[in-house]
Amino acid sequence: MWSFLRKRALIIILISIILLVSLIGFSIRDRDEVSLPEELLKDTIGWVQNIFQVPIDFVGGFFEDINELTTTFEQNEILKSRLSEYKDLLYDVKALEKENEELRVLLDKKDSDVLESYNLIDATVNGRSPEPKWMQQLSINKGKQHGVHANMAVITANGMIGKVKTAYQFTSDVQLLSGFDRNNRISALVQSDGDDKKQKDTFGLIEGYDEEKESLILTIQSSEHKISEGQLVVSSGMGGVFPKGLVIGEIESVEMDSYGLTKIAYVKSAADLYDINHVMVVDRNMNSPESDDTEEEES
Amino acid sequence: MKHLFLPLILVILLVLESTATALIPEQWLLADIQPIPHWMLLFTILIAIFYDQDHTMYSLLYAIIFGFLFDFTYTDVLGVYMFTYGLTLFMILGLKKLLHPNFVVTLLLSLVGMCFADHLIYLMYFMVGYADVTWTTYLQERLLPTILTNSLFLLIVYPIFRQRLEKWADEQFST
Repeated sequence: MWSFLRKRALIIILISIILLVSLIGFSIRDRDEVSLPEELLKDTIGWVQNIFQVPIDFVGGFFEDINELTTTFEQNEILKSRLSEYKDLLYDVKALEKENEELRVLLDKKDSDVLESYNLIDATVNGRSPEPKWMQQLSINKGKQHGVHANMAVITANGMIGKVKTAYQFTSDVQLLSGFDRNNRISALVQSDGDDKKQKDTFGLIEGYDEEKESLILTIQSSEHKISEGQLVVSSGMGGVFPKGLVIGEIESVEMDSYGLTKIAYVKSAADLYDINHVMVVDRNMNSPESDDTEEEES
Repeated sequence: MKHLFLPLILVILLVLESTATALIPEQWLLADIQPIPHWMLLFTILIAIFYDQDHTMYSLLYAIIFGFLFDFTYTDVLGVYMFTYGLTLFMILGLKKLLHPNFVVTLLLSLVGMCFADHLIYLMYFMVGYADVTWTTYLQERLLPTILTNSLFLLIVYPIFRQRLEKWADEQFST
């Protein structure tokens, strides 16, 4: 049994350990640029994944459709009753939008001056990492060629799920909210309840993810505002990368930190982080600080 | 043409591993139970036992290549799966010379291989800082479900591929 532990084998194992350590060191540092062979390999794998995704989606969709058919009738009834309300709402929204636009023209503001405005890039999930807990990572089928760049926010219909970690030519990797740490904080704000107009929105930072509570950690510096359960947390757009107003989640509980200086709120993410099929990459219209060095500051 | 079958199957397994992860019930993940598909490892172990001759090391080569591809596609840290799968297959190649190729031996070697490989992965991710759990919780939440689900996979794959691998080996090495 020990015959395979000859001298030569030992040397090979030692060399491979050295190789392993250097590879880990190479890949673990933060890299913004990816090399050409990496891009080629990643896009090839993404292409293969895409081929497999089509029949799997078809089968999965078929069963989902059957499930939904059974509840369609009740849903239809409810939707019909809601339809008239929506018509009124639609009219209101149209009117408000028009008014907003006119006011903006009056103020001479362009579309790219507004923090809230963004474009969406639709994408399909190619695959989740088979290390579901330790590597909170997805790959999607849109890349630089479609306008996706690193650090863009990624959302589903329900809310934010993460950000683009690396963008390749035709695919990109997404880091999920549950994999966030101190290195990728989000500037967020807690929306005030509508009934009290004097109360302002409270700013805070999403600083990571609590594994045990399965919620995001939001630290709030100011202690003047009262924060209660169920309040909505959205991105503030002050971080420079994400637009304003992306829904992150709802506040679940609030605590003081161990020094009593800042508040820590636990935020339950609005989007389901485990069942993700279609995502949208958010490309904000206002220039990010990294890209607008050519633009002059206006005071 | 025939020798392209093995890499092709491994590529398919590489993609299907992520698909299988998407099918894991959400309640399991919320309860921190995380079965990891080690299908490529199991298939390379089958290759080692039924395809490789005494003087060839195809399984080791495939394990290293596809371990690297796994790292590259699904994780941030390159080299962990590559090294683990390579070392495991090296060990299996040494062990299989002592034993007769039959089902019990295959199951045994797969169990040993999975146990060893998953521990090594846990150890490395622990050192790098991705896996922040103690060894006992790791055993309960990850190793046990992983071994159970992967044994199921082996039970399905073994009858399909045993004869074929031996046939392919005959065709490959007799000429």
